[in-house]
Formats: sequence, structure tokens, C-alpha cells
Amino acid sequence: MTKEVSDKLQELKIPELKSSLTSKLKNEVYKAISEIKTTFQDSPEGMKYFLNRYEDLIDDQNKDYKNKKIIATNCIYVPEELIYASGAIPVRICNGFYALDQAGANYLPAKACPLVRSTIGMIDNNYYPFGAEPLMVVNPSSCDQKKKMGEIQTKSNIPIYLLETPPVKDSDDAREYWLKSIIRFKSILEKTSRQKITKSKLKSAINKIYLAQNEFRRFNNLRKNAGIISGTEAITVINTYFFDDIESWTTHLNLLNNELEKKIQIKKQLNSTDKPRIILTGSPSIFPNIKIPLLIEKHGGIVVNDDFCSSTRFLYDTIAVDEWNMYDMIPAIAERYLKPSTCPNLSPNKDRGRKLIETIKEFNANGVVYQSLAGCHLFEIESLNIISLLRQSGIPVLYIEVDYSPENTGQIITRLEAFLESLT
Amino acid sequence: MMEYFIGIDIGSSSIKTVLIDQNASIVNFSVVPTGYSFNKNSENALLQLLSERDLKISDIKSIVSTGYGRKLFKLAQKNISEITANAKGAYIISKLKIKLKTIINIGGQDSKIIIIDDSGKVQNFFMNDKCAAGTGRFLEMVSRNLEIDIENFGNIHFQHHGTPLSINNTCAVFAESEIISLLAEGHNKSGIISGVHHSIAKRISIMANRIGIEDSVLFDGGTALNKGMVAALEDELLKKIYVPEHPQITTALGAAIIAKENDESN
Repeated sequence: MTKEVSDKLQELKIPELKSSLTSKLKNEVYKAISEIKTTFQDSPEGMKYFLNRYEDLIDDQNKDYKNKKIIATNCIYVPEELIYASGAIPVRICNGFYALDQAGANYLPAKACPLVRSTIGMIDNNYYPFGAEPLMVVNPSSCDQKKKMGEIQTKSNIPIYLLETPPVKDSDDAREYWLKSIIRFKSILEKTSRQKITKSKLKSAINKIYLAQNEFRRFNNLRKNAGIISGTEAITVINTYFFDDIESWTTHLNLLNNELEKKIQIKKQLNSTDKPRIILTGSPSIFPNIKIPLLIEKHGGIVVNDDFCSSTRFLYDTIAVDEWNMYDMIPAIAERYLKPSTCPNLSPNKDRGRKLIETIKEFNANGVVYQSLAGCHLFEIESLNIISLLRQSGIPVLYIEVDYSPENTGQIITRLEAFLESLT
Repeated sequence: MMEYFIGIDIGSSSIKTVLIDQNASIVNFSVVPTGYSFNKNSENALLQLLSERDLKISDIKSIVSTGYGRKLFKLAQKNISEITANAKGAYIISKLKIKLKTIINIGGQDSKIIIIDDSGKVQNFFMNDKCAAGTGRFLEMVSRNLEIDIENFGNIHFQHHGTPLSINNTCAVFAESEIISLLAEGHNKSGIISGVHHSIAKRISIMANRIGIEDSVLFDGGTALNKGMVAALEDELLKKIYVPEHPQITTALGAAIIAKENDESN
């Protein structure tokens, strides 16, 4: 925590240490928000809405989701179109809270992934956004740790549904298996939310997400003007999609995009563009765990894009429907969630390196920072292939292993600085 | 009128200060323990260095700090990461002797491998800071256990003949109990010391294999003064290793050179 941030906390009168979980979570959110506010002073007006959403998130009085049908999801593989079509609201619960990671440590080994630990921490403590009481938690079999986490009996009684995902995406068998899994998921959703997924409901759900994705793609494209918005803020904006009302999110991203476009027109840049432009890859940074993007940008770099399953990869790919019939929409959904996936749970996963190199070219990046959450074996193992591919292509890359602990950043800073120094 | 520059490397166990002139020749240098109030100790080390050459702080054109304490050192105009500084210093000091490609640095609380390009610029690096078993700290611990000064480790290493004892634990704390068991089994100190050197060298060579090292290899940091450690590293890497005359000060020298270069480019 920097001096400014601790002053700010003093000013806001937020207690540093209080034993209850909710106050710890509040502290984490306020810390991250004030770090963003003090680091990026030229922040666009449109950022305010998204930062406020985090303040709403930890507001105990906010019960907006109290009597709504909520389906908690756990991964990028879960098709949110089907959830909306069943009359429910998807809320993604994989998160970046250190306090929940600590809470989840009661159930999982010390060397387990902090993201999986924080998810079980959330389930165990029934701490869902806006007073939500999810009808079920959709847990994919994408990675072993998530899969086995779903079998653990916690204090929660909310049913956990295992969404079966294939370990391969290229074979016919895998695609067929996945399609069957999606069809089964559809009928489970209909039973759970007691509403039939009709043709017109599904069509409108697909369109609703499509509109959000459209704004997202516009936002992503604007980020090619390095410096127009910091990567830390961009990640924060996209992360609110996890729990925000989709229409409100889309409207506010539209406003932010308009503002950024105007800035570009008058050539007002937030940061000078001679800073090294960095692409983040690997295990996701989910708010408030914005440690790595924030450190990169505090120490002279600018994060122009990422391939995180919680940000760019989450919203980039759209559904291609030919005819608005059930027999066409369902396979189109299945295809959208498997074919573009570059999750390291897939073997082989050649698309990941290929897409990464495309993004580097597209965003004119100078280097890559590969983040592995300590205990996230898939990203740890795949780092060897990705790093050697990048090196062969002449792209500098720094590998960093991190956890959710908020302090102890001295040694990470040394590496980041050395890496950024080598790029200038 | 001579111009002077200072590089100061505030590490976890010692503060290294190097004073150079405008020709980049070393005028004076010192190595002192970091201690608790490292900011004050750094300042004292710097002033001492100057007074030994009858110089004042106002005679210095520019100071660059590096190492873990770099950010808090008020006298420095600029700070730079120890990886960049180490690469610069090692490149300059070995330029006339070898075609440097790889730097191995075993410091007090981390170990690193740095690969540089033909111009001495950092191309790639690998840093281990999660675990003390591959660092100078481990040797300090063994020195306490065996009640032998680290300065004597080099000589004692060569008293052992045959295969070095194997110390497998990857954690310094557990390795300590492994060493105690070896003592209890009646092994002598030279076998243990040579075993410890090889165990550190093995960890370094795993890092080296991951990053892919190339000749020529330079080894620096205070640990490189230990001839036994150098021999073990050559054994494990199957490579000839170059050790500069004062291996502790390469990073501080690099910072001093950077101070001079910055001054020239301004």
C-alpha cells in the first residue's frame, strides 16, 4: 500500500483491520479503487460508473438481486445466453478477493490455485453480489481444481451443477460431447428456473449479449490508441460485467467509448505513447486483484491488452446464427464457447500462441508479461511452450508467478522494472 | 577538472558502493553490511568512500542507486533495477577478457541468471526469490550450523574427495535438518560443505537449463568469492566460468556507469 493510499484510507475513515469477512472485502475494494484513483489521475469521466459498481457490490444494504432468479457461474465456458433465456441472471463468481482466498484455504490444499480457493470461499460464506441467493452454481469441468472443488461439502446448500467440458476441441467426438452437454444444461436450467427456454427468448438473450459484446469490441479497438485508457482501468471496466445488469453495463460502456473517441479526436492522451506497451497473458487478474497490471503501469509500462478469460477472451467472440431456430441456435452457442477457446485446459492448444502473436501485432506491443497464479498448474505448464514460441518470434516476455497476497511486491517490482528497462 | 560518478547497490546483506571517474575507471569502492537502518548505513558508506579520496558530495556529478533499498535512498538522482545494473557492470568489467553472454548472480536473498546481447543489453532473465535454498542466505545458515566462517568454505570444499554428499531438500529450512542428520551420521564438515555447494549449483543449473544459457558465463555476487561454489557450479553446468576480480561490486559498478551515461546523454 502506497503512502497516498493509506492517507486516502485515513481520509475515508475505513478501518484497516476488522475481523469480519465483509469488512476485509470492503477494505480490498476501497484499496483497489483508491489505488486506481491516485495512479490514474486523468481517468475518463465514464470510469466513475464502473468504480461505483464495486462500491455497490460491497454495500451490504444493496439487495438488488435479493428476490431475483440468479445463476452463479464459475468460468468462461458457461453460456450466459441460455441463462438469460431461462429468465435468470448470470453472475460470475470466480473472483480476486484475498480474504475469500484465505477463507477457501479451509477446504483446499495450500498449493491450490487462489482463484479456485476464492471461489469456494465465496460459496462457503454465501457472499454473493447484491444479496443474491443463487438457484445453483454452474461449475465447469474445465480445470481439475474447479472440478474437484465442486464436490466439496461446504456450509452452503446451493446445488453445484457440473457443466461437462471436453479436454479437446478439434475432434468430432469432443464437439458432439460438448453439444450434448449444452443441451443437457439447457434442460437443467429450464427445471431450475422453472421457465422454458423458447425460441424467441433465446433469440433475445443472444441479441442482448451481442449488444454488450459490440460495445466491448469498440472499447477493445479504442485501446489500440495506447494511453487512451490504462490497462488496469480497462480490466476493471470489463470485470464489472461479471455481476452488473447487462443493459446498464452496455449503456455505460457506450458512454465511456464515446468519451474515449472524443479524446482521440482532440488527440488528448492519458499517457505518453513512448512507454513500453505490454500484453498480459496467463491466469486472469480479476478485481480487486489488479496487482500486476497496476504495478506494470505504476513502473513505466502500459497494458494495451490481455488474453484473460475474465476480460478480453470473456467477451470477444460472438455467436454466429444462420437461422433463428432452436436447432441452429443451440449448436451455434456450443460452437461459440468451444471453438474460440484458448484455455490451457485444451490439448493441443496451438490457437493460444497464434492468437497471442496476432494481438501483439495488432496492438503494436513491445513485450508480454505472462502471469501464473501460484498453483494454477495449467497456465504454469503451458508457459514453457508459449514463452519459447514468443522468443522464437523475437518478442520479449517476462514470466511472473503471483498469488493474491496484497503486499510483498518488492521482488515483483524489481523484475518488472528490469523487464521494462530492457524494452526501452 | 575530474568528474565523478557513484553507483550504490543496497542489497539484502551488504551495501556496495563504487566511485568512478569520467573515464569509467574505478577510483574507490567499499562493501559494508546492510544492517537495519540501511538508508543511514548507505549514506555513511558513501561519505566514507568520498573522504578516503578527499572528495565531497558536491564533487559528484550523479549518483544512481540499485538493489532492494534503491527507492529509499535520498542521495541518488535516479534508481535502476539491479538486473539492468548487473548486466551493465558485468559487461563493462569483462569486455576486454571474454565475450559475455550469461551472468549468474547469487545474492543474499535471491539468485538470478541474466542473458545479454552483444551490446550488453538485457535480453532475458530468470530470478529465483521464492526460496532461500539457492541463495547466499543458505550458505550463511550452514556456516552457523557448522561453526565455520564462510570465508573458509572455499578451502574446506576442496578437502573433500569423491562424490559430494547429496542434500536434496529444496527448502533451506528442511535442508538444515538434512544437514543435521548428515552430521549425526558422522559425515565430516568438508563433505557437507561440498554437498551444500553442489546443491546450490544444481538449483542454479535447473534455472540455467530453463532459460538456456550460452558461453561465456560470468559469475558474480559475494558468493562468487567462494572458490568451492565456483567449482561446484562449473561441475554442474559443465562450463568454464569467469569470475571478476571483485565479484561483489559489479552491480554497483553498473549503476555508476549508468550514472555517467545518463549524464552524458543529458
